[in-house]
Amino acid sequence: MTHLLPLLFYIAAFILWVRCLIGGSRGRGPLVAGILTAMGVVAHGAALLRFWLHYGELPLVGFGAALSSLAFVGALALTVMLPFREMSRVAIALLPFIIVVQAVAVLLGVEPTPLVLDFEGAGFVLHVSLAFLGYQGLALAFAAGVLYLIQHHELKEKRLGRFFHFIPPLATLDRLARIGIWAGFACLTLALAFGWAWTVENRGSLEMGDPKVVWAVLSWFVFLGVLGARFGGGRNDYRGALAAVIGFGVVICTYLVLRLTVGGEGLFL
Amino acid sequence: MSLAVVGVSHHTAPVEVRERMVFGPSEAANALVTLRQEAEVEEAVLLSTCNRTEVYLFPNRDDRPIRSWETLLQRKAGQLDRRLSDYLFERRGDRVIRHLFQVSAGLDSMVTGEAEIQGQVRDAYERATTLPVDPPMAGPVLNRLFQMALSVGGQVRSETAIGEGRASVASVAVELARKIFGSLGGKRVVILGAGQTGELIVQALSREGVKGVMVVNRTYERAVELARQVHGHAMEMDRLAEALRSADIVLSSTAAPHPVLTRPVFEDAFPRGIHRPLLVIDIALPRDVAPDLGDESEVFLYNVDDLRKIVDEQVQLREGSVPEADRIIRAQSDEFRAWYASLEVVPVIRRMRGRANEVRHAELERLLRGMDHLTEGDRVRVEEFSRRLVNKLLHDPTVRLRKGMDRGGGADLVDAVRFLYGLEEGELPPLDGDG
Repeated sequence: MTHLLPLLFYIAAFILWVRCLIGGSRGRGPLVAGILTAMGVVAHGAALLRFWLHYGELPLVGFGAALSSLAFVGALALTVMLPFREMSRVAIALLPFIIVVQAVAVLLGVEPTPLVLDFEGAGFVLHVSLAFLGYQGLALAFAAGVLYLIQHHELKEKRLGRFFHFIPPLATLDRLARIGIWAGFACLTLALAFGWAWTVENRGSLEMGDPKVVWAVLSWFVFLGVLGARFGGGRNDYRGALAAVIGFGVVICTYLVLRLTVGGEGLFL
Repeated sequence: MSLAVVGVSHHTAPVEVRERMVFGPSEAANALVTLRQEAEVEEAVLLSTCNRTEVYLFPNRDDRPIRSWETLLQRKAGQLDRRLSDYLFERRGDRVIRHLFQVSAGLDSMVTGEAEIQGQVRDAYERATTLPVDPPMAGPVLNRLFQMALSVGGQVRSETAIGEGRASVASVAVELARKIFGSLGGKRVVILGAGQTGELIVQALSREGVKGVMVVNRTYERAVELARQVHGHAMEMDRLAEALRSADIVLSSTAAPHPVLTRPVFEDAFPRGIHRPLLVIDIALPRDVAPDLGDESEVFLYNVDDLRKIVDEQVQLREGSVPEADRIIRAQSDEFRAWYASLEVVPVIRRMRGRANEVRHAELERLLRGMDHLTEGDRVRVEEFSRRLVNKLLHDPTVRLRKGMDRGGGADLVDAVRFLYGLEEGELPPLDGDG
């Protein structure tokens, strides 16, 4: 129930952002949407803290708990952008991802796994936390990329309508996407390094066929691909935005395919 | 009439007349002082812009302030081809409130929703507030009226689309540049040709902080001349490709009979294609820029028709918001009227209670005169009884009167109380009265 409250806040904030888009972002709509998002983050943080205090473990293991933490990282990143009027509008593209992740977490139940596991230690916590940050970095680049492509289309079509007025300038979106990609890439690289070190130390060797490992390594290559598209052969903002959108799609699709075909322990993947 | 506004505006006078009646800041201050001295005006605010010169007066006793203002205007304008009264407009009472709110919201402007008027109203109000005269020119009524007008202007702009979009080619160009580059600080502009609209756009872009303006013209001397005006550098036409390489914005307005910025010139400037946004604004007729350059993913090409179409759409969008803006103005006008009426309720209550106490004292005196046997303690108790009785009898009417005013009962309620309790007229002149 405690994890449902932030979800409701995020949904309300998203509805308000959509209203701002349709009705013109006038009045206090964006401010109220920002406040709702921030309230969602506070409620979400409190719910995760409660989980930690109640079960005596961080909400990193167990499918629902891990997803809720992933959603929290994204919402937290969004909250950091809220004071910046133009950047905050990326919420309209980022919130749906956060909402879906949190909704799945709520549906599955945010509880610790009943299995007796040895996932502990600073290395493990760093591995999971950094991986969450990495994926949210890609999600941010995706959200900024989607808005970039829409704004680019509006400008090319010479339509100064609702989208044109609502969506931030191309330069702002490009800067956000760059931050997302570089920060995400750095975090995921470190996450893979910590994960490898932790596995070797605790399990002896890394099982390359493990769907989690397959997905994580593939995601890392996706980051490389997006960076290559953005900077290869001279900087190209449009190509960078397109690559971020495709890259995020590839990561999500791969995840779903692995989940539906190979499956896993159901702990993280 | 107590509250009045008189003046000229773009609705009533052509520019040749209006320009002769524009009051600079110090002239406006002097005019207000003259009004105070000549017509004993209590409150006045003078708003003077290129589209209007009008004075708000309160109270307008016997039309003396209006006559004094007309004399001032006539003196300022000098000899006109027609009588001054032919160009004047006048609003009184409630219509003044609505007029000022419409002006502040940009509904009465030449370009609906223009934002500058809000600042001009603020300047006029501040001038009247800070003028070193006693009592201040913006007294309690005009003070409140102008504060509300500024608030209404802000509310209309934030809650409706009245100020959305741009309503001139230059401002659309700036808006497009902002949506591509975000901040325009440090961006570089290449001007091709030296047309007047081009100059206006460059001025608008310069205000946004663009740097490094390069003027490329067929006649080098003309390029130098324009470059001096816009603080830029002049270049000869054969260096166009070089200029393009560092440009973020290209503004073209030559009188050339054929395209100047062609595909070969573009490929010369960007042999490996362009990988960063380039805004190209072509306001020349015939067009200066080859249309196929707009097919480049990073080139945002707008010609004069595109810009004109955008301006028309923006103006339509603004005008569609007028009913919504009117609704806000109506509600705020009602609020001002209710506030004004509430000013009257305090003296009415004071007089009502005073009258009741006069009766109480008189009756008490008559009663006690024939009751000498009462002890001092009994007399005090009787007096206390009379005081409590009057207070209790007046408590409900007082509370209900205040509530009624808050609900917008207005002047009718005050008049009813005056009639029922036989009170004299109020101290404040009615908005629509004769002052």
